[in-house]
Amino acid sequence: MENNTNKSRRYFLNNGLKLGIASLIGGIGLSKIASKLYGKTDTNSKNTIELMTTDGTIVEVDSSEVVEVIHSHDQEKKYNLREGMPNRKFVMVIDLAKCKNALKCQIACNKHHYITGEHAWLKVYKMQEEEDTAPYWMPTTCMHCDHPACVTVCPVDATFKRRDGLVLIDNDRCIGCRFCMAACPYSTRVFNWSEPDYGEDSEEMMHMNMAHQEHNSIEFAGMPSKIGTVDKCDFCPHAIKENILPHCVTACPNGVFYFGDKYEDTVTNGSETVRLSQLLIDKSGYRLMEGLGTKPSVFYLPPVDRLVDFKDGLDKFTNFNSVEKNK
Amino acid sequence: MEVSDKLIQDLAPRKFGKKGVIWTISLIIISLAGIIAYIDQVIKGQVVTNMNDYALWGIYISNFVFFVATSFVGAVTVALLRLTNNAWRTPIVRVAEIISLASIVMAGITIMIDMGRPDRLLYLFIHGRMQSPIIWDVIIIPTYIAICFLLLYFPLLPDLAILKEHFSKTSPRLSKLYGKFSLNWTGSEKQKRIQLKSIHIIAILIIPAGFILQTVDAWLFSTLFRVGWDSTNMGAYFISGASVAGVGALVTVLYVIQRAYKLDHYITDYHFDKLGKFLVLTCLIYLYFNINEYVIPEFTSKKEEITHLNHLYSGQYAPLFWFVIIGGLIIPIIVLLFKKGRKPLPMFYIGLLVVVGSWWKRFLIVTPTLLQPFLPVQGVPEKWHHYFPSFHEWIITFATLAMALLIITALVRYLPIVPIQRTADEQEAIRTNKPLSS
Amino acid sequence: MKNRLKFNYIVYALAVFTWLSVSSQIAYGQTSKKNTVRLRADYFKIMNDHIYFDIKASSKIDKQTIGVAHIDILVSNIVNDDEIELGTVKTNMEGTCKFTLKSLSTLKVDSTNTYNMRFSFKGNDAFKRTSKSVSFKDANIVAQLTEKDSIHFIQATLFDASTNMPISERLLNVQVQRLFRPLRIGPEFNSTDNNGTIIVPIEKDIPGVNGNLTFEVVLNDSDDFGTVKALVNAPIGIPIVDESTFDERTMWSPRNKTPYLLLILPNLVILGMWGLIIYLTLNLFKISKP
Repeated sequence: MENNTNKSRRYFLNNGLKLGIASLIGGIGLSKIASKLYGKTDTNSKNTIELMTTDGTIVEVDSSEVVEVIHSHDQEKKYNLREGMPNRKFVMVIDLAKCKNALKCQIACNKHHYITGEHAWLKVYKMQEEEDTAPYWMPTTCMHCDHPACVTVCPVDATFKRRDGLVLIDNDRCIGCRFCMAACPYSTRVFNWSEPDYGEDSEEMMHMNMAHQEHNSIEFAGMPSKIGTVDKCDFCPHAIKENILPHCVTACPNGVFYFGDKYEDTVTNGSETVRLSQLLIDKSGYRLMEGLGTKPSVFYLPPVDRLVDFKDGLDKFTNFNSVEKNK
Repeated sequence: MEVSDKLIQDLAPRKFGKKGVIWTISLIIISLAGIIAYIDQVIKGQVVTNMNDYALWGIYISNFVFFVATSFVGAVTVALLRLTNNAWRTPIVRVAEIISLASIVMAGITIMIDMGRPDRLLYLFIHGRMQSPIIWDVIIIPTYIAICFLLLYFPLLPDLAILKEHFSKTSPRLSKLYGKFSLNWTGSEKQKRIQLKSIHIIAILIIPAGFILQTVDAWLFSTLFRVGWDSTNMGAYFISGASVAGVGALVTVLYVIQRAYKLDHYITDYHFDKLGKFLVLTCLIYLYFNINEYVIPEFTSKKEEITHLNHLYSGQYAPLFWFVIIGGLIIPIIVLLFKKGRKPLPMFYIGLLVVVGSWWKRFLIVTPTLLQPFLPVQGVPEKWHHYFPSFHEWIITFATLAMALLIITALVRYLPIVPIQRTADEQEAIRTNKPLSS
Repeated sequence: MKNRLKFNYIVYALAVFTWLSVSSQIAYGQTSKKNTVRLRADYFKIMNDHIYFDIKASSKIDKQTIGVAHIDILVSNIVNDDEIELGTVKTNMEGTCKFTLKSLSTLKVDSTNTYNMRFSFKGNDAFKRTSKSVSFKDANIVAQLTEKDSIHFIQATLFDASTNMPISERLLNVQVQRLFRPLRIGPEFNSTDNNGTIIVPIEKDIPGVNGNLTFEVVLNDSDDFGTVKALVNAPIGIPIVDESTFDERTMWSPRNKTPYLLLILPNLVILGMWGLIIYLTLNLFKISKP
């Protein structure tokens, strides 16, 4: 009896070991075949590196092929959020001869800044100085003035002027006194009178919460809007620091908005890129309410040699509405 | 130094009768209603008001400006009359000091109601920027509160000592309180010396403080570009307006108190007559500034100015504007130029007109300008083109007025309205033909 | 017998019916719900630097073209019927991605000296499988800065890399690198001459950080060579001067840069007033002491 059990044990161990080794070798072999089938590179090194590109995609690249790409702009350097990007002065040029109130700029701005109130940050005014003078459409953004009246009167340093020309708002500092809104002659600031209404569990809310958790409120205005504080056009710093044009510039189908760096003397509307100084001379650029001494950073090109008829914009004109409600 | 019993009997604070109790309870109810409305505002946000991105300041701010203006009465009556040796001021100064203190304290509270993020109040002190006119306001208001309190307290010391004696048998607990606050006042030479020197310093200090307070308040508006605000006149205009509002409030409150406490032997027709003349003077000066503000721009007829003036003369604000000018200024001037008009009862009505006119005048300073921005009002709901305060705003504003009256009521209840010691000293000086010590 | 036949008949009918429904379900589930994906890949070469492919995946859903996000694109090099896999990239939220290589040396050409690339998507539950082939030849641009009579020029020559022969009658763009978009220098159309060369004058007053400018000579989106770009660094720009008031003491500066007058005068007034208030409060204490 014992002999039998011993024998069977030995038998078991013997065969079991053989089986184990065989399956191990087989397993390794299978996995190798499998990996080959799934297209892992089989060049000299088996190492791949996972990299994130500037637009957020994950790339798997063989490590021998990865090389440091040297960018010619120094924007990758981190800068103090209240000081801004070095060696830049952002300006915008708005060509009134081309604007026909398509309002795509306003829609894009409202969408990308999750504006839910009743007042858009970018407004297209129906202007006519006098009965005898010609009517025209005038888009206005924040002027990011060089002598900003709003910044001067802020009691708590919640709104500030950066080195790169942007005037931004720290919604975590603002006390909601609205003195800046009273000071601004361009009526460009809006107030969050109530909690923003993003709708229950909407996808926008989730997407924006992710953006907000990773980023700061200063360069990501409106994501989300904070109750009891002031908001306004911010020249999209979250985009321009990635070399992406502000949303209004790319959204305009008529090339009305030009944006660029005054120090580089170049502005672009996405398709046309021109010297700023030349543009202002050729088309006689001016600024709004120059006499107030605010020194705005937004230039206007007068509505002459119009490419569009003013009346074409009338059917899109909504006097009592500037934010689309689709809830 | 000896104060006659009759004097004390007449001037010591007395318990409220039925009317006083009803009055006090009504004020408390209104205040509570305002606090509830404010809590609702904090929870829901200022969307409960009718303010919008154009009418971004409403009656919270105009109410605040009214309180600041009324608090000027301390500087203009107590200090100015003292420095110009107007001896008739004695019976009225305590009421003026009380109104001053109550107004400036309520101004400090009222401005916080207008903040969008009251939870960040401390940022004004931690992150304050000296370049901002609001910070100038934040500095001068507590300063003025301190000075007003001292202005009330120093002359009160002898009276508190007297009251301690007076109530020692009837209300021992009250007597003890008076004793504590009288700071061991015995009337000694040393104490009197310190007190008189201090009062003199306060009287001088409060005048520049009051002027700075009114001017900074004016600069909240005139440091901005807007039509109707961007005026070089603003500082002096506000000082003058504050004199009118302050004296008007003083007259009104004085009449009520004089009647309620039967103090017509102390606050006599003569005092009302003098106050009436003072009020007419301040109104005339104010009329001069109003002409500069509201008539002269017609001369150059700049577009924006004319639009603004037309809104007031004949537009949506016309009824209010004419009420304020005629009812709040012209009629008082006319009535008060006559001796008959300076009798107590007509003075009371005129005072009331002046105060109500002052309150609505500040509304006319704040809101019409805001509804006339440089760029056209477009792209916003139709109701944003107008402003009328909402239910919340009214309740909260009434509550702040009720609280101011509550403070005045409380102080009038427990403090002698006419300064006892000083009245005694004056009577003694007249009797013995000796000059008054100060 | 008849019953048996009927029974069999019914069973067969049932089986056929079941098979039909099941298979139609399978077929239905597999084909009609899936959308087609359009792949686009553009080849870019930066001279003496790297090469990359800009890949865009889009789909027309409900008459709107949207980017297809978060899908894997397999990049491979096709050499004489062999597919050599190079790597995988995943598209971002907008449906674009970029595949970068250090140089073309890792790729192999076919008999005509053409590089053949294949970008494929193996499909998922929502989208059908698709692939895109891109072929290109290697071209080189050699560009340099030259000067004559105190005018600076950009001189550039276009070569076919496989034969090293210059290519004539091709349009090259000359531009200076700027933020967002480059600024064109010289005429709009510069056609390479018989030696494959263009020469373009540079205006004198172009601003740059510390006077440094980077010029680009680009063969833009050609059918056979893709996009080739040569960079020329030239310190011939006007140095940028920072005109901002950020470092100055102004009325709009943060509180650590208040103007001196505003620091001194108000604080003197405050000190004066509060000094007196404190003195008066001390007087109250003096009075209360017996």
